[in-house]
Amino acid sequence: MKSSWLLSLVLSVLVVSFISALTIGAADLTFNQVLLSLFGNVDEAGTVAHSIIWQLRMPRSILAFVAGCGLAMAGLILQTITRNPLADPYLFGISSGASFGVVIVMTLTGVGFGFYLSFAAFLGSLLAIGLLLLIAGFNRHQQVESMLLAGVALSFLFSSFTSLMLYWSDPQAVSAILFWTLGSFSRAQWDLLWLPCLVVVSCLGLMLAKQRQLNAVLLGDEGAVTLGVNVNRLRITMLLLSSILTASIVALCGGIGFVGLMIPHIVRFFIGQGGRLSLIITALVGGVFMLWVDIASRVILDNQELPIGIITAAVGSLFFLTLLYVRKHESVI
Amino acid sequence: MSLKQDVDHPILKVSNLSWSTSSNKILSDISFQVPLGSFTGMLGPNGAGKSTLLRCLYRYLTPESGQVLLNGQDISSLSNYAFARKVAVVLQHTPQHFDLSVFDVVALGLIPHKSMFSNNSQADLNLIKTAIAQVGLSDKTGRDFETLSGGEKQRVMIARAIVQRPQLLLMDEPTSHLDVKYQIQIMELAKSLGITVIASFHDINLASALCDQLLILKQGRLHTSGTPENVITETTLTDVFDVCSMVSAHPQHQSPHVTYFYGYNSDNDNSSDHDTNNIEPAEHTKDDE
Repeated sequence: MKSSWLLSLVLSVLVVSFISALTIGAADLTFNQVLLSLFGNVDEAGTVAHSIIWQLRMPRSILAFVAGCGLAMAGLILQTITRNPLADPYLFGISSGASFGVVIVMTLTGVGFGFYLSFAAFLGSLLAIGLLLLIAGFNRHQQVESMLLAGVALSFLFSSFTSLMLYWSDPQAVSAILFWTLGSFSRAQWDLLWLPCLVVVSCLGLMLAKQRQLNAVLLGDEGAVTLGVNVNRLRITMLLLSSILTASIVALCGGIGFVGLMIPHIVRFFIGQGGRLSLIITALVGGVFMLWVDIASRVILDNQELPIGIITAAVGSLFFLTLLYVRKHESVI
Repeated sequence: MSLKQDVDHPILKVSNLSWSTSSNKILSDISFQVPLGSFTGMLGPNGAGKSTLLRCLYRYLTPESGQVLLNGQDISSLSNYAFARKVAVVLQHTPQHFDLSVFDVVALGLIPHKSMFSNNSQADLNLIKTAIAQVGLSDKTGRDFETLSGGEKQRVMIARAIVQRPQLLLMDEPTSHLDVKYQIQIMELAKSLGITVIASFHDINLASALCDQLLILKQGRLHTSGTPENVITETTLTDVFDVCSMVSAHPQHQSPHVTYFYGYNSDNDNSSDHDTNNIEPAEHTKDDE
């Protein structure tokens, strides 16, 4: 069938990308060393290579993959429940809420990394989404409109708080915060990976379970209600879901823009948004994209890592503009 | 066209239904019955409350007072999905934001019948295919819903309703922005399904030609109800729609047929508002085609 063919294509690209992510980097490893370290004899691979792969590149690549999946899913959820093609975690203030939490902890305690920072980011984004729901969530009519407007307003509000805090901080803290907001996978550690993995897997499960209802919402609230869908409850559940997704990723990786906005559009462009398959493929493509962004961030500059957010924004927007251009071109013909 | 109607056993019984916004009474004290298997039309000028009444019937709005019984059961006592298994709705306009295919849209009709993770069975796929064939769109199954014409979109929505397997189909002006051919096509398609249908109409002649019973609303009240022959009279048209007209028998099916008179601007136009002037001449053009 066409669909299983498509899935196996994406999965094989994923496998290739993942092995590439383990192979390419500052220390030159060979494809053979990676395979030996993964499936065979540690001694033959070399102990240094083995620890580079298992202690550094493996957790980092898993984090990159999971972050890509999660952000793409969050974007898809938000675009679907608001029926707005521009919706992504940034638009709803989820990301700026997280930044706000981080900035507060950094400026008050001077701590530049670690668990507390992640926790602060998590709390910040939940605060943003809590306020959003409080303001717009329970107003049944024009729920979508008020949510979008409230999200944009909250986003600016948190940004202004963040800027204010930055204005008062010392230059060192400012550059640490800047680095954080641009995103990085260098903080990946085995013992912190479980949280985003767990969140992404369970959210994907829930989205698959509610896939029919999500499709129904695309045809308008009233139409969905006539199919028996409790639109308000679905929308609030899904909004919470996407904020937990974003929060758990932003907490570990910092702000990574554009992935949540772009990936769902790319997948939609090729296979539409109808089936469960397109949901899974959206998540996978997001993960694969992020793996390659991470590879790029490690190899573009010698002995230095480029922040993730710079690459996603640059690559993403160029690709996206091309896609729009091609589509416009095609529709004219 | 041979539908068995059972007047003694109404599928829907509405009693003393009222609904209002915080400031305005939109529906007051509406009562009527719909016989099983009948095609009921709802007529009335803009703002008469047709959409609001339908919304109360499909539970998008909760009546302020009164009762709606479906097969003797109060509709407010049913769960969302149980209700959606009995009543399907085709709306006037279906917004579409991302590319769902015709197949995807029709498959939405399965929602009230499916549990969370269940996939489409072969029987479901057959049902979807048959429904799409029934509305004559088999060659467009894979097309983006958005790329269809207005008439095709409404046929897709009817196919979705077929997949929903309801006992009652409610339609809120499903043809109001379509070409004449599609107005007739959509309504005849709905009638051919063999289930009970309640639809609101803009075109009085179309309603007269197809409906077994008509409900005429004016300012939130049920002005008249009954068969087209009893209801569509020159007096009613003047009372409700504020137009002068002549009612005759249609040459093909003998149902009442309305011919409108013109010239509202020249003589005494105190009684005629803007709406009447805009809408009625357009309808007359359709009759001529």
